[in-house]
Amino acid sequence: MAGQVKNWLQIVPWETVVSVNATLCEARKALHKPTSDGYAPTKALWEKSRARKLSLPEVFQIGYECHRLAPFCNYNGNTFVAIIKTLLDDTLKGLSADKAHILRSIAGHIVAGTATDIERKQLDSILAALEK
Amino acid sequence: MTMAENKFLKEAIKQGLRMQHRFLAEPVLARTGKGYMKSEGVATLQRIKASLKKSRSA
Repeated sequence: MAGQVKNWLQIVPWETVVSVNATLCEARKALHKPTSDGYAPTKALWEKSRARKLSLPEVFQIGYECHRLAPFCNYNGNTFVAIIKTLLDDTLKGLSADKAHILRSIAGHIVAGTATDIERKQLDSILAALEK
Repeated sequence: MTMAENKFLKEAIKQGLRMQHRFLAEPVLARTGKGYMKSEGVATLQRIKASLKKSRSA
């Protein structure tokens, strides 16, 4: 089960990713700066993915990969988790409050790189409910 | 930036600031392959479930 397939990232140009990270860094007085090895490949992956129709698991995976590539010096995790969770907002309206909370939580954990196998299995059943 | 993109940016920033205490500044996942995100616990989910149960029984 993959949930809705669409251009999920269309609404998020790369400049938005940079602005989110800049604001999060500023809030904690952390350095906002691109990394020498991670910035360019992450930007390329993001822009390529923006043009594609994706399933929700693919969106989570791209968020995870961008986090792993670390385009910024600080708060990569928070940046991509916040973006992916915000993307889910409209979709979650079709779910009960508890299922919506669980889906947001699992999405965050996948992007952050802390998801368990149990959560990944749970994701399948929630996405199946979304398709009904 | 379109209005929709601008609205999304504001929402994403709000979301990020709300959970910032759960993250570390360093690029942990890039270095170790293991991510970090402090658990928010089960209190929120329990509250949601209790509220759903209450509204169903009413």
